[in-house]
Amino acid sequence: MEETEPKDTNTKEEAPIIEIKNVKKIYRMGNERIPAVDDVSFAIKKGEFCCLLGTSGSGKSTLLNLMAGIEKASGGQILIKGKNIRKMNEKQLAKFRQKYLGFVFQSYNLLNSMTALENVEFPLVFKRIPARRRKRMAREMLVKVGLGSRMNHRPKQMSGGQQQRVGIARAFVAKPEIVFADEPTGNLDTRTTMEVMDLIKQVAKDNAQTIVMVTHDPRLAKFADKIIHILDGKIQSIETISHTMTEDTEEETTEKSEAEREENEEDEKENEKE
Amino acid sequence: MRISDLIKMGLRNLGRRKARTALTVVGVVIGTISIMLMVAIGQGINYNFEKQIMENGSMTIIRIYTYAWGENENGEYQEYQQVLNEELIAQLREIKHVKAVSPVMEKYIELYSGKYMTGISLKIMDCATFADFGFPALEYGTYPTPEQNETIVFGYEALNEFYYNNGRTYQTKTVDLAKDRVNFTFRDYDTTDVKKQFRYVVKDYAKIAACDQWEYGWYCYVDYEFYKELYTRYANTLKPADKKKAMESLERYDTIQINVDNMKHVTEVQEAIEELGYRTESDMQYIQPMLDTSDMLQKVFLAIGAVAFVVAAINIANTMIMSIYERTKEIGIMKVLGCYIKDIKKLFLFEAGIIGCIGGMVGVGLSYVAAYLLNEYGGAFLGSLMTIAGGEADTGAAYCIIPFWLPFAAILVAISVGILSGYLPARRATKISAIEAMKNEG
Ligand SMILES: Nc1ncnc2c1ncn2[C@@H]1O[C@H](COP(=O)(O)OP(=O)(O)O)[C@@H](O)[C@H]1O
Ligand SMILES: [Mg+2]
Repeated sequence: MEETEPKDTNTKEEAPIIEIKNVKKIYRMGNERIPAVDDVSFAIKKGEFCCLLGTSGSGKSTLLNLMAGIEKASGGQILIKGKNIRKMNEKQLAKFRQKYLGFVFQSYNLLNSMTALENVEFPLVFKRIPARRRKRMAREMLVKVGLGSRMNHRPKQMSGGQQQRVGIARAFVAKPEIVFADEPTGNLDTRTTMEVMDLIKQVAKDNAQTIVMVTHDPRLAKFADKIIHILDGKIQSIETISHTMTEDTEEETTEKSEAEREENEEDEKENEKE
Repeated sequence: MRISDLIKMGLRNLGRRKARTALTVVGVVIGTISIMLMVAIGQGINYNFEKQIMENGSMTIIRIYTYAWGENENGEYQEYQQVLNEELIAQLREIKHVKAVSPVMEKYIELYSGKYMTGISLKIMDCATFADFGFPALEYGTYPTPEQNETIVFGYEALNEFYYNNGRTYQTKTVDLAKDRVNFTFRDYDTTDVKKQFRYVVKDYAKIAACDQWEYGWYCYVDYEFYKELYTRYANTLKPADKKKAMESLERYDTIQINVDNMKHVTEVQEAIEELGYRTESDMQYIQPMLDTSDMLQKVFLAIGAVAFVVAAINIANTMIMSIYERTKEIGIMKVLGCYIKDIKKLFLFEAGIIGCIGGMVGVGLSYVAAYLLNEYGGAFLGSLMTIAGGEADTGAAYCIIPFWLPFAAILVAISVGILSGYLPARRATKISAIEAMKNEG
């Protein structure tokens, strides 16, 4: 493996927000040992859009779950914001997730009994944020993802793309520093995939949030600042995409977001009338 | 999570499966009703019991009558004539737990005050035992004592309706002993041909203060020894044949009344007397089967209540476990979104508690309905349990009485059953891993 960017430049600026050293995850199936993640080390900078790219079964999801503290590592060190999450207990992990982490899931994972608004509010409920403020935050977030007119719809009444927008709103509503996304477009068609990717990228950019996304689709890699190629639980290569290449996409997204904002403002007015 | 959010979420979850929640609640309802009715019937029995004690005098009294009914060796009922005399009284005094023994006679007398008169029963007892038999307080005067035994004790109603009737006018009068002189005579024998009529002018008197025991109302009381004196004087005015009979009657008592030191010993003392060869009666002997039946009835309700609550508890646990299976993914998502384990546990305990609470509240409501129906229409069934022989159940008597604390206690029990049976499922819910949220199949 090789790093295209010299290491000293980023350490001078700031310590990496995610730092992984010699992490291992071995599943046992009877007598068989499956090394899903095998001695992996890398670092992600604050504000970076990092893509874990690899074929199915290569261990991407496992790696993401390890970083989020959802799975227990078999070995190595996982530092997030300088804290060793392997040493945290369940309560500390829950608190840590509330404070710093957001999640976007492949199958959206919205609660069907709740409206879009309530789903977006959900993580704020665990943070004990009062209802009024919570509602305002959720509403703002839904407007931002272009669902100002769908607040009181239930997941079953929305398309896959819309549901994932709700999922994105939920992931970003608490303004977490890191958002994990495991195949966020895995259930969507190509057009919607691009829309959703643009949305994630744009929302993250607004607050300089760090994104760690798992995908098997090389076409999505172009959204990332850093691509980590994974095969059989090992890192094959880490590729950092130069800033100049992302510049036009950046302009594109800002243009688009402005257009969206206008749309959203109208939605908001409608909502207020209600 | 805030409490308000926890409540909202819990109610929403229960609302999602209305039919299942309702069926689970039914179990708790049945348990609550059983427990409520158990206590309510128990309270009703106690209330009626106490009321009857108040009305009929002490439950500690045993009586031996000259003419007694009883079963013979062949199991047939027949009348027995028993000899009640001083010798027996002496024997009875020796029995353990006997507090007082007194002969009792009842004689019809006619009281006169000027042109007014009235008929009343004179109760004759050993005045030394008055206190032991719990005679009530006096309005004025003092009770007779063996040394000063000539006092006539008037019941609280005894002076109220003296009347005058000459065929044309009918007048009544309440006699005031302070102003009006009163005399009386016995009417056991024909005295139309007698030269000198017996009249006793009341010298010493006392009056019982009004109370709620009817036996102290329309009666007069006098000491046995003094009565003997009076009756001997009366006998001396009679024709020789009547005189002989009258004097003989003084040697035997109509009734002997025994007071036992404690209600619990009544049955024991009764058995001891029957061993002497006498048949006895007490209110207790009628009350005892009633108490036994009520005890049994309460136990049956308790058993039904306990079984119903056990079944309800299993039902709640089952419902919660099913709910957890269904919500595995949801719980995983909650964990990933930063929900504390403690909150997940609280959420499930709350849901189980709410099932208990709703069941308890509905049960309490239905118990009031059931209690009303039992009081209104259950008289034939419950009334027989709650009246001692001779006493009659009042119309509108309360067979079920729900004390004010009972609904609260019942709901509390129901909630506790809910929370207890939700405990293991709730723990199980906390063990669900956050990985469930990351799985894509299903
Ligand atoms: N819970 C598990 N038990 C056993 N093996 C597992 C488990 N989860 C994942 N694996 C195995 O680990 C490897 C990596 O899985 P995963 O991280 O899901 O791959 P990816 O997300 O890249 O498709 C696979 O071989 C998979 O079969
Ligand atoms: Mg995967």
